[in-house]
Formats: sequence, structure tokens, C-alpha cells
Amino acid sequence: MPLDVTGLGLDALAARVRAWLEDHLPAHWRDAALTGDRHALAAIARDDAVTRAWYAELGDSGLATAGWPVEHGGLGLAADGVAVVADELARLHAGRPMSDFVGVALAGPTIVEWGTDEQKRRFLRPLALGEHRWCQLFSEPGAGSDLAALTTRATRCADGDWVVDGQKVWSSFSDRADYGLLMARTDPGRAKHRGITYFLLDMRSPGVEVRPLRQLNGQSEFGEVFLTDVMVPDTDRLGRENQGWAVAMTTLAQERSGLSGRPGVGPGRADALAARARDTGAWDDPLLRDRILRAFVAERVLQMTTVRAFADLGRREPGAEGSIRKLAHGTLDATLGLLATEVEPGGAVAHDPADGDAEAALDAFLSGKILSIAGGTSEIQRNIIGERVLGLPRDRDPYADVPFAERPRG
Amino acid sequence: MSADPFRWTPEHEEFRAVLRKLTESRTPLACAPAPASADQRERELWRAWADELGLPGLVVPESHGGAGFSRLELAIAAEELGRAVAGGPLFASAVLATEALLATGPDAAAAEILPALAGGTSVAALAVVEESHRWAAADVRTRVGDGRLTGVKHAVLGAADADVLVVAAREDAGVSLFLVEPGTGVEIVPLAVLDPSRPAARVDLTGAPARRIGVAGEGWPAVERALEAGAVFLAAEQVGGSRALLDAAVEHANTRVQFGRPVGQFQGVKHRLADMAVRTELAAAAATWAAWQEPGTDTARLGAAVARAHCADAYLETALDAIGVHGGMAITWEHHAHRYLRRARADLAVLPGPAEQRRLLETMIGTGV
Repeated sequence: MPLDVTGLGLDALAARVRAWLEDHLPAHWRDAALTGDRHALAAIARDDAVTRAWYAELGDSGLATAGWPVEHGGLGLAADGVAVVADELARLHAGRPMSDFVGVALAGPTIVEWGTDEQKRRFLRPLALGEHRWCQLFSEPGAGSDLAALTTRATRCADGDWVVDGQKVWSSFSDRADYGLLMARTDPGRAKHRGITYFLLDMRSPGVEVRPLRQLNGQSEFGEVFLTDVMVPDTDRLGRENQGWAVAMTTLAQERSGLSGRPGVGPGRADALAARARDTGAWDDPLLRDRILRAFVAERVLQMTTVRAFADLGRREPGAEGSIRKLAHGTLDATLGLLATEVEPGGAVAHDPADGDAEAALDAFLSGKILSIAGGTSEIQRNIIGERVLGLPRDRDPYADVPFAERPRG
Repeated sequence: MSADPFRWTPEHEEFRAVLRKLTESRTPLACAPAPASADQRERELWRAWADELGLPGLVVPESHGGAGFSRLELAIAAEELGRAVAGGPLFASAVLATEALLATGPDAAAAEILPALAGGTSVAALAVVEESHRWAAADVRTRVGDGRLTGVKHAVLGAADADVLVVAAREDAGVSLFLVEPGTGVEIVPLAVLDPSRPAARVDLTGAPARRIGVAGEGWPAVERALEAGAVFLAAEQVGGSRALLDAAVEHANTRVQFGRPVGQFQGVKHRLADMAVRTELAAAAATWAAWQEPGTDTARLGAAVARAHCADAYLETALDAIGVHGGMAITWEHHAHRYLRRARADLAVLPGPAEQRRLLETMIGTGV
């Protein structure tokens, strides 16, 4: 039963969600979240039976997919309402895990907008209930920032279905995914943006091989996906043939908007750094202190900008605003990551293996560049700001209108 | 925090549009309108600001002859005037001196001069800083004796035009504020200034007759309130200046052709402009958020400090970047760029700058604000 939230203001919505969680979230989960017991939370995350039951209940309430339309199992909330729900869930660590981001935040809205009735029936409900994991099969070794240069081929068979061959990369959680959002070239005789089709790929299909990649921070979140003679039924095509670029724009806009969590101006990562620096004694160094204070200013300014982005929803083009915040956020992440190591004794470069603070600091440092690359590099964001916000002349691919097959190959 | 920052009303938008029109059509470039200027155009511009828009009395309560608006309306005005680097006594008189007077609480002497200040028929200047050039109560050495002040005030904005000076001086109870009129015991020595749109002078006080305003020894909180208001005003003004610089630089990059294409197509130029835009948009959000806070609260202090720390540095960086985009032309006297560059650098010092703001924030970080 979807939760009834019609007509509620943001504070009333927060209260309603909080009360619902109070009644439904298993007590041991709630206790672990409220006491900040990391070990207990990790144990819960590993307990499939508990998480599966919880995500089903959460999905049934509509809270897992609060921004989706009501008829598809969502609550039909606007971004500010979605953010309030996300905040309440985050408070109790009760929301869907990061590995479900592609499914809930990207696949769902894209299927809602472009899917056939049959596709909506097949995919949306299981997605909301946490039954399906999704991954994104967009980037390729030769198509990163220039996504439309992708060469994975989908060839139509006599029966109307498709055979797919190619290689995808940087696909987060692809080793766990049940389905993939796949972009493939279906007509190399057309210009690069106009010969691409979008598919919903069953990752269990024969010919799909996933090889996890290890990242510089030691984690293994994303992988390479090799596609060899993979059969894809035409009923799994999303949108019309050769119009995949338009479908992909829906997915990418969701990825870039970056509006998550309830906006507000208050203690953030820089405050935590200052507290840690006071504990370790690093705060005594006036030069380091000033760098932390600069990061504090930058973080608060970004918070204020996010508050404005929410207030401007529907009044300004969200994509471009998102690029400005993403760029600033990428810079801040790298700065905070470096500072995290600097407040630790000895820069955390050599520490007791059981020292969780040092480990977290190193992870923050090693992860500091991710946001400047993932979801569109900072250079691409600067192009977007320059061309779409400021109206500067576009730096076009000189072969953008040439049939894809006739482009020079690097 | 006020309920809904960034929810502009139609009245706000209209006020902004009227200001934009006035500054675009009537601000002679580099003009510093003064009510008593020998230059007819300056007097007229000041009258237009006062009579048509009520700018000098924007934050003065209606009971004192003002419009009774908030810092938000003042910030809108600041942004629009900042676009044109418009000078004049507005910042020195209507923001710094007026805010200090209002913060002294109910005071007969203050109440007596506020209507004239609000109407723009009289202007004031705030004289606080002394030889150290620091905005610190401990550095106020000007003494009071028999109702007369003796001391030297440095870099007093708008002093030469002022009909009345609001002076911080030390007495046994601590720092108090006094009203001093130019004349006996007051020598005003104009200084050479980097930013000609904001004239400044040294004020030598040698037994100048003075009237105390507010309670003896409780003047410094009023100065701090003026600094808070000034920080918010400058931040908004800098946003306006940054936007004007960005607009002009974008227009140049779109039209200037080298190597067979508009230079804005080159990423070296395009990305510099994008960085200017990012800085400016962040500045705009911070300045507006700060203006939206209830004066004198913790969030107002935080907002003013954060906005000033970001906007002042961002403005200077953007002024330098803009010169880079325009190239050789921007190095000439005739080009508008140096007016913004001068303003941006001078702004760092006319009130406690980004480093001082971070020092202030050091006392707030980790306190939950």
C-alpha cells in the first residue's frame, strides 16, 4: 500500500515518513542506526533475508521510489519532497544501498518516460521492491566523454530481434546486476548521434561476461562487460530504433541533477575535519587551520547554492545549474580528501591497521578525484557551462554529421 | 534561518528591474554621485537614487523617515549598483553609518539625524579604524574629554562629503559612538585611493565637539552590526560586478575572431569563462542566502562571514580573469576592466576581509551553526 502523502508540506511529510519508519523498520536495524553502530549496520547489510524483506516493505510503501508517478508505485513527489524522504531514510540507514542507484534513480525514470506498458509492468514493480539490480552499459574503451562515439553493435536478425557485440566499461555494480541499460549502434550509416538504440539487457543472457575492475582506492565497484553474440529480443528495446540518444538524455539528466538529500546549511565534512584536527592536535598549525577554514567556506557556499537550486526547481534549466554544482563539488571533494589525511598523525601514510580514522581518511583521499570524472568530467562540465549557460560557440565534433562508418578512426 | 531563502516576490523582481533601468540609463561611468557635488550630473543622480528609489533610507524604519525594508532589498540594490561600479555615499552613509546608528538603539541624537540620512539630504560617514588599520575595539585610541574627541581616524570612506561623522572613541566605560560635525577641531585630509568611486580621507580630531549616541561603552556591538550589514552589502555588490564582467567577457569571446574562429570556442578561453561563471553563481547564492538571514543572529553572522570570504576573493579573481579574456584592450585606461579591478582590490580592505572572516569562522566551526 503506498503511503498517503497527498497535500503534505515538507515538514509534515518528514514527520509522516519518520512515523512510518518508526512503525515498520526492524528494531535492531533502527537501534544500530541511531547508535551509529557500524559493525551492526554492516552485519545487517550482509543479511540478505532481512534486507530483502525490508526493501520489499519499503518499496510497497512507495518510499523507495518517491519521485516516481503514483501509478507506477511511487509517491509522485517533486525533487524537494524526494529529498525529504531520502533524508529520513538516510537517518536510519534504511534507504536502498548505493548499488541500487542505477536502478532506482536512472533506470526507473527512464523506463517511466520511454517504456512500453509491458516494459513498465515487467520492470518498475520489481525495481521498487528491490528485486532487480541494474547497471549502466554506456561507456566504452573508445567512448568516454564522447559517449556518442560508441561502437558496440546491435544487428537486427530476420525475426526482428537483435544480436549485440562489443565491450562496455566503468559499469558500476555490473557483477551483481540483473539488467543493464545498454546503448548500442544500430545504424553506422547514420551520423553518430542518430544511429544508436537503447536496450534493456538481461545480464544473464548467454554471451555477457563481466570482469570486475579494481579501483585506485582498492574497492571493486565497477567492471568491464564483454558482449559476444548476445541475443536481445526486440521487446527489450527502449524507445524507437535509432533514437537511443534521446532516451539516454533522460538517463544522463537524472545522473547530473545531483539533487539528493534535503538541502540545508549546517555542519558538514569540514566541521568533522575540524573536530578531528582538534583531537589529533593538527588544529594547532595555523596554516592547516586556514586551509580547513577555506574548505569550510567552500562547503557552506555549496550548501547555499544547493538550497537555491531546490528553490529554483521548475524556474531554471536544472541541467546547467547541476553542472555548476558538480564542478564545485568535484573540487571540494579532492580538497577535503587531502585534508582528511593531513589532520591524521603522520598524514596516515603509516598507521595501525586497526585505526579506522586513518583508513577512512585514506579512502577519502584516494576517492577525491572520482567526482571530477564520474558522470561527466570537470572538463565536460566546463564545456556545458560555457556552451549552454554562457552561450559560447560550440566546439563541435567535425564529423558529427558524417555517417558513423565513414569517420576517421584514431 | 529564515523560512524560505531564494523565494523572490514579484515586488523584488520589479525593484530589481527599476534599478537596472536607472543604472543602465543614467549612471555615467565611474560616476560617484554626491549630494553636494559641484557636478550637476552627480547631484541629479543622487537625487534620483533618493527620491525615485529611496535608496538611502531603504533599511531605515518608517518611523525614522525610511522605507523600512530589509537587507534583502538593500542587497538587490547593491547588486545592481555593483554592476556599474557606481560609487557615491550609499555604502558609507546608508549602510555603514546608518546601520551603526540604528544599532545603538533608541537614541534621541540618532533619531534626529536619521530622517535626513534616509531622505538623502544629508550624508554620514563611519570613522572607526585608526593607525593599525584593523577593525578591532582594542585598537580604538581616540579619547573623549569634556565632550570633545581627540585622535586620528584612517581611511574613512566618504568623510570628505559627510555632513556628520559617526566616530568610535574610547572612554572609561569602553568604546562608544559619537556624532561629530565637520568644523572646529575636525580636519579632513583626502587620501589618494585605488578605487576612485569610493573616496576616503584621514580625519584628524583635535578636541572636536561630540555628542554620544547610545550607552557609554556599548558602541562596539553597533560597529559589529554595521560590519555585518556591510559584509552582506559588499558581497551582493561584488556579485553584480562579477556578473557585469562575465557578460562583457562572454560578449568579447563570442565576437573576437582569431585563428579563424571566435576565441570563445577555444577551451583555454571557454573554460576560464566557465570558472568565472561557477565562482559567480556560488557567490550569488552565498550573498543572497546571507541577505535573507535575520540581522544579528548566528546564521546572519555565519552567512555574512561566509559570503564575504567567498565573494571578495571571487570578485578579484574574476576581475583578473576578465582582463585575461579581453587581452591587450583591457590594459588600457579607456577599457572598463580596471575600474572593476580597482574596486575588487579595494573591497578586500574597506572592511575586514576574507582572512579576518575565516578568523571569525574559526570561532564558529564545530559549534553546530
